Amino acid sequence: MNKDITRDGKANGSSQSVITTQDVNLWYGATHALLDITMEIKTNNVTALIGPSGCGKSTLIRVFDRMNDIIDGCRIEGKVYFRGKNIYDPDVDVIEIRKRIGMIFQKPNPFPMSVYDNVAYGPKVHGITARSHLDEIVEKSLRLAALWNEVEDRLDQSAIGLSGGQQQRLCIARALAVEPEVILMDEPTSALDPIATAKIEDLITDLRKQYTVVIVTHNMQQAARISDFTGFMYLGKLIEFGRTVQIFERPGQELTENYITGRFG
Amino acid sequence: MAAEIKNPFQGTGGRRIVERGIERSLLISGTVAVIVVFFIILYLFRDAYPAFRNIGLGKILTGMKWNPAGEPPSYGAYPLIVGTVLVTLGAMAFSIPLGIGSAIFISEISPSRLKTGFKFLTELLSGIPSVVYGFFGLVIMTNWLRIAFDQPTGESWLAGSILLGIMALPTIISVSEDAISSVPTDYKEASLAVGATRWQTIRRVVVPSALSGITAAIILGMGRAIGETMAVMMVTGNAAILPEPIMNVFSPIRTITGTLGIEMGEVAAGSSHYHALFALAVILFIIVLLVNSSALFILMKLSERFRPSGKKSLFQIPKIVAPLLKKVLWGAVALLVVYYAYVRGGTRGGLEAVVLLAFSLALLTFLARKSSPRQGQKIVFSAISGSMAVVMVLLGVILYYIVVKGIPAISWDFLTQPPRDLGRAGGIFPAIMGTLYLIGGAMLIAIPPGVGAGIYLSEYAREGKITRLIRAGIDNLNGTPSIVFGLFGFAFLVLYLDLGISLLAGMITLGFMVLPTIVRTTEEAVKSVPQSMREASLAVGATKWQTIRRVVVPPAAPGVITGVILSVGRAAGETAPIIFTAVVFSQRFLPHSPMEPVMALPYHLFVLTTSVPDSLHNAYGTALVLLIVVLMIYAAATVIRLRYRRTVRR
Ligand SMILES: Nc1ncnc2c1ncn2[C@@H]1O[C@H](COP(=O)(O)OP(=O)(O)OP(=O)(O)O)[C@@H](O)[C@H]1O
Ligand SMILES: [Mg+2]
Repeated sequence: MNKDITRDGKANGSSQSVITTQDVNLWYGATHALLDITMEIKTNNVTALIGPSGCGKSTLIRVFDRMNDIIDGCRIEGKVYFRGKNIYDPDVDVIEIRKRIGMIFQKPNPFPMSVYDNVAYGPKVHGITARSHLDEIVEKSLRLAALWNEVEDRLDQSAIGLSGGQQQRLCIARALAVEPEVILMDEPTSALDPIATAKIEDLITDLRKQYTVVIVTHNMQQAARISDFTGFMYLGKLIEFGRTVQIFERPGQELTENYITGRFG
Repeated sequence: MAAEIKNPFQGTGGRRIVERGIERSLLISGTVAVIVVFFIILYLFRDAYPAFRNIGLGKILTGMKWNPAGEPPSYGAYPLIVGTVLVTLGAMAFSIPLGIGSAIFISEISPSRLKTGFKFLTELLSGIPSVVYGFFGLVIMTNWLRIAFDQPTGESWLAGSILLGIMALPTIISVSEDAISSVPTDYKEASLAVGATRWQTIRRVVVPSALSGITAAIILGMGRAIGETMAVMMVTGNAAILPEPIMNVFSPIRTITGTLGIEMGEVAAGSSHYHALFALAVILFIIVLLVNSSALFILMKLSERFRPSGKKSLFQIPKIVAPLLKKVLWGAVALLVVYYAYVRGGTRGGLEAVVLLAFSLALLTFLARKSSPRQGQKIVFSAISGSMAVVMVLLGVILYYIVVKGIPAISWDFLTQPPRDLGRAGGIFPAIMGTLYLIGGAMLIAIPPGVGAGIYLSEYAREGKITRLIRAGIDNLNGTPSIVFGLFGFAFLVLYLDLGISLLAGMITLGFMVLPTIVRTTEEAVKSVPQSMREASLAVGATKWQTIRRVVVPPAAPGVITGVILSVGRAAGETAPIIFTAVVFSQRFLPHSPMEPVMALPYHLFVLTTSVPDSLHNAYGTALVLLIVVLMIYAAATVIRLRYRRTVRR
């Protein structure tokens, strides 16, 4: 595959881009939910998507790993390149895409299995059966997700018994266990308290060294704190996209400025 | 002045009284339901007791000969018990894989716009009354079996198992489908998001999460099979013998229910035979109780795992059980193959069928194992779609025969005239009306206490020993064979209360029969409303009853209505509970009072098929009319349910 294709995006970053979208339009039945989205996600950076409720942030982030496939009546046009390959091409295996692009959901959604089985789930479905190998992956992923110390001695207990923040980190560990290249997070901290939120934010900052992160957030400070790039969406359009410092300090659009400063109808 | 200061947080007295009143009346309806349940159980034991005392439980259970007409009579139930077990096992052997396959197909694979269609067709299958199954089995299927396997007669264990399997299918399918569909999308998304295939997601996340529901589905299906009377009685040949050799599926066989159905009608009340039949009913009841309780036990263990504090993870049981089951299954298949190859080398048909089945199963497993996840998914999905196809073909064949052969019999006169010449000529008007009276009355009797009790159990009853006991009692009665209700109705209503064979006795019997179903489906539907919705309502200051009425009941209503529909359909098609309590064959007129006997469609069909030669033409007509009556009830109820759903959505 032509790995080193790079395209012109609006962001003036220096590093390579992993995901590039071109004129993406998406409909839920008759609802036109995304309009002409063109953007790029840079490797080893955190990209934040902000915007008012219902503007299409979740929809867009789900475009990146084809999670919208499972929604009835959802139709998409345009191109989404991942490592230079359009993931909506008919010859692309959606399983492969989801293996390489992980996702964390707004509400922590651990399976009603043990902590261990939750993390081992991905590796297992991808064919790893050796217990020792699984043990290794589980420990590594839980450590990466900064959860190991808290669950070390309760690996065989139900994950439902963990606190909300622990559950969310468990979900992150579950995503990390299949060693994705990109991690998509849809409001991962909106169901959590400030302390749990701070932990996840630290975690994201750490993850940036090895992974590329895309995060949807309603929390402006959070976007400013942890992201390198920010996209502002409104009514299905990507209004502005650029370096976070620039977006927050010198927004190019009035809409963006109004939203960031909280003067929003 | 000081008296002016009021507690600003005090509620108004009126509201408290309303709340209290509603709770009381729900409690009362719950109590009625529970009393009925326990009374039936007690009464059965009362009438069986003399038999246990005079003959002895051991002798009844182990006696090899059932011959009440002998000199002296012998009441050995062993062959009947074995017959019941064998027929049920045979039925489960093919209805479990077909049923679960179809459930997975409907909820996970079928395109969403076809889902409703498949569900509807499955419901149709459960709407076919058991006597119609028996009719189809006797006049069509046993002939096919006789010819296909080159046997002297098709009335056999195999015929009974096939019919029972088909009858258990809709229960297994719809209950597992519900369980599978209600697995949160969260889980599926999380699994797909790490790159699992759809099949991996189904196998490792969806099915395990739905396991308790699927288990319940299987148990319910099994309960239906064990307790079925009419269909079994019509196709198994009813010889009270053990198959020779024991795995000979072509042997005639007799079940406990069949014996009750055949003999209860002609027994002298109070005789030793009478008490022996009640003893049989008690044995049947206890078998069902054991089956149900083991299922309940499994369910309880599973739900414990869902609890936050659960020490063990959810999948512990299946992890141990699944490989074991697999081994047992393969062992059984291997045994069958060997058995057919050596012992019954002569009957080619059976051998071929079994070998083919075993071989295709092995091939399927092998292919799925060896291929990549994606190819594996394709193979498994086609097998799953195949099971749905088989179910649809079964439905199609049965409907085809009843409709095509029934239509010529139907005319205006057939629908509006009383029967003549023992039903060979004339119509079935009194039977149609009798059936409508019976189900109308049964519903009036069962719905108020049933729905009330369901809401009470879910919303008011404190979880504790008593609630659990009540639930267990209701659950067990839920799986209790309809013929047992018939026996109860006969002994208590007809004889003891001296209502005689009458419309009223039939209504009450049918009402009692559907009561537990209504209680439990209501409770389940109401309970499935998320706690967060109740909390949200209570948080804005709604009272408990307001919360129930405005927040809990509306989303639960479609579920409650579904439960009631299924009950109505069941009541309309049932023969066993009314055969000794409400119906006569040659009644030419409508009853003038509830104290008179009536005709009923299922019973008319039963008598025509089994006792009146040369009445096949009108029998087909009756079967079709019965089918249409039942399906009309279903259709009406489905419309109500769909409309309700729409208004709730708003
Ligand atoms: N499954 C669906 N079917 C139909 N319309 C949908 C569906 N999911 C989302 N939409 C619509 O698409 C638009 C974008 O929704 P989306 O969930 O992407 O918004 P969002 O920016 O994530 O909002 P929030 O911040 O509230 O999560 C909304 O108008 C929404 O109503
Ligand atoms: Mg969203």
